[in-house]
Amino acid sequence: MELRIKGTKTTAFILCVLCTLVCWYSAAQFLSMRKPDLLMPAQGFQKHMLSEWEPRLEGTNMDTPVYIQDGTESGGTVYVQGGIHANEPAGFMAAIVLLENARVRKGRLIIAPFINNSARTHNSPQDAAPQSFKIEQEGGNYREFKFGSRATNPIDQWPDPDIYIHRPSGQKLDGSSRSNMNRSFPGDVDDGITQLAGKAVMELLKKEKVNLAFDLHEASPEYPVVNAMVAHESAMELAAMVCMTLESEGIPMRLEPSPVNLRGLSHREWGDSIQGLMPILMESGNPSQGRLRGRTDEALVLTGRDKAYEKASKMGLLFIPYDGYQSIALRTARHVTGVRVAAEMLGDISLNDAVIFEGIPSYTDIKDNGIGKWLGTSGL
Amino acid sequence: MGSYQVGRMEWFWPEGGYTLLMIGVFAFGAFRWNLPIAVAMALATIAGALVAGKGVPLRHIVEGEFGYINTILVIATAMMFMKAVLAIGLLDSLSAWMIHRFRRFPVLLSLGIMLIIMVPGMITGSSTAAVLTTGALVSPLLVTLGMSKVRTAAAVSIGALLGMIAPPVSIPAMIICAGVDIPYVGFMIPLAICTFPLAILFALTMIYPHIRMFSDDKILEEQLKNMRKNPLSVRLVLPVFVLVFLFAADQYLAGKVPGMGMPLIFLLSALSGLLSGVRFDIVETATEAVDDALPVMGILMGVGMFIQVMTLIGVQGFIVVSALSLPSWLLYAGIGISMPLFGAVSSFGSASVLGVPFLLALLKYNSIIVASALSLVASLGDLMPPTALAGIFAAQVVGEENYFKVLKRCLLPGLMIALWGIVVIIFSAPIAALVF
Repeated sequence: MELRIKGTKTTAFILCVLCTLVCWYSAAQFLSMRKPDLLMPAQGFQKHMLSEWEPRLEGTNMDTPVYIQDGTESGGTVYVQGGIHANEPAGFMAAIVLLENARVRKGRLIIAPFINNSARTHNSPQDAAPQSFKIEQEGGNYREFKFGSRATNPIDQWPDPDIYIHRPSGQKLDGSSRSNMNRSFPGDVDDGITQLAGKAVMELLKKEKVNLAFDLHEASPEYPVVNAMVAHESAMELAAMVCMTLESEGIPMRLEPSPVNLRGLSHREWGDSIQGLMPILMESGNPSQGRLRGRTDEALVLTGRDKAYEKASKMGLLFIPYDGYQSIALRTARHVTGVRVAAEMLGDISLNDAVIFEGIPSYTDIKDNGIGKWLGTSGL
Repeated sequence: MGSYQVGRMEWFWPEGGYTLLMIGVFAFGAFRWNLPIAVAMALATIAGALVAGKGVPLRHIVEGEFGYINTILVIATAMMFMKAVLAIGLLDSLSAWMIHRFRRFPVLLSLGIMLIIMVPGMITGSSTAAVLTTGALVSPLLVTLGMSKVRTAAAVSIGALLGMIAPPVSIPAMIICAGVDIPYVGFMIPLAICTFPLAILFALTMIYPHIRMFSDDKILEEQLKNMRKNPLSVRLVLPVFVLVFLFAADQYLAGKVPGMGMPLIFLLSALSGLLSGVRFDIVETATEAVDDALPVMGILMGVGMFIQVMTLIGVQGFIVVSALSLPSWLLYAGIGISMPLFGAVSSFGSASVLGVPFLLALLKYNSIIVASALSLVASLGDLMPPTALAGIFAAQVVGEENYFKVLKRCLLPGLMIALWGIVVIIFSAPIAALVF
């Protein structure tokens, strides 16, 4: 049996109308991703924009808020960025928990929760990711955050070349890496806007004399560098101390040296380019970005519960302990605690550079009570 | 890695059911109702989403299609280039010149043709580029020398696959590298080991035996005369020169000059045909090119929405983990079967979705050698319907309407490619000792 519809002007017209409706509806959905998420910084934070360190970013979709809080006593400077990969939500949720709770007593804390702002405004095709997720709070309130993409939005930087040549190293990477901000460092003003934003971060780190810099990520549970700290040589001593402390508190944390020949990454280029800076990248295990994941939806982002990962875990394929759950609260708690412990120990490495901030919920506070309790209430 | 034996039904249901349903609806639509492949894929996508309780997820359907936007632009513009060089008679003239020059040296000619087919793939990492450029150039030559259309398309397809993986640029290998954060460094020799022995073998088995038989010089001369309607000149070859120059500039001056990308390169090269001295209607040629490429572009859009909904409802994870759960003695067979099959979506998709987990499951071996070998196996996806980018375009280039005849001819070489990939993985330790 052959199913054929004869093409006429009427069928052509109907098709055109249907196409227009589909375009209109989906365009509205895509555009909804551009609405900024609500942030409620703790008292004392001053809002800046990344373009203050690289004016060419002003007015672009890559410009993003940077919050700075100075303590009453002078000390070192800690920088925390989340959202360089906008599909790694515990990275930016940890930055937000710090932003909405920290009271800096000594030194300075700089937080850029959505460092690749463009990546938050779209989803990667064929990833089937949810556009957002809701963090529940008491009294039926919730805070909603975008779940974005690993890459800069093609609206802001397109097309990717077949091969991306990282500057200045000349290393060849697959073309899509050009839209990956964590391959953009030390940045370049003559390449794409992702590289320009990379340059802006470098300028920020230099001009603000940052001592300790965090880049918060998540990784697939089947990826070997997960539940880990990746540290540049300059940060290795501090990172080793932090990992030992975390392990003693029952938080498993691997320590990985930053590979010397893998270029463009924060932990490599920040440390190579800026004398005295200690860069650390942290990874938690996120099933919603893994290649083995099953049904992909908001629940997976929030709970990490997944049948496919459960099976993979029993097969010994994962690099994290996985008992069927890997909640966003657990993943965020790991990051927040890692940053807090490292900042506390910064003074042990160099007394003058100590940074002390208070008001940060503990690992168990976040893991057991969820993130919502530690976020400002929007009244939604 | 051990096999997972418990809870088979629990594992299978409901994702296994969704898988069967989506495949069933696609097969019914395509083969029973004779719907275009793209429409059958759309129906299967919607059926899967509905049954999984996702309604008709328009956003996912549209977003999935965008996964292939770059490929679609390359296909449309490459087809315009091919139609332009056909219109000016360059293909015929160039083939006539090569036959005249090299027909007395069939072994050399066979090896040379295979290398010529591979070169654009080696530079761009795209089998489609290889098929639609040098593949299109050598196809009339092979047909004139006595090879059947089907054999010609098969040889071009296989050459294009090997070109895509051969060094210096192998995009599937780069995709696997990106997935496990290893730099694309040290891949030249492993990729050469994966591809060049096979290229020599296939040149001598798929091309040489069929062109050496040609002995009737009189008929051949007559054909060559007809083919030289537009004499070969620098102006006539201009589109190829422009193409080679722009590709080389794009690859080797990257970072120094702004990147153009394949679509613009193909467009400019096609436009340069207007300076060849042979008049042709550029609008008509472009329209004809888009018309010819439309079914494949439609298929890509259908596949895009299909894979997005597969991911949405858990079918992708079901397939990947099922492949990985094979007992270790079956893992190699799993690689050889699942990667080409998944490549029906695209060879790049196969490298990403299956290549990365397989590499992680084989971490005990040398990662660079294994990634090279996995990229070789993933390349077979470009022969796998419904997308079959290399195969379908090779069939189109020679004018063969039934792609399945070409696929049948590619089965044995395809099997050898998969086996060679697995052999390279198994012997990766001694190979690594030799190479590094």
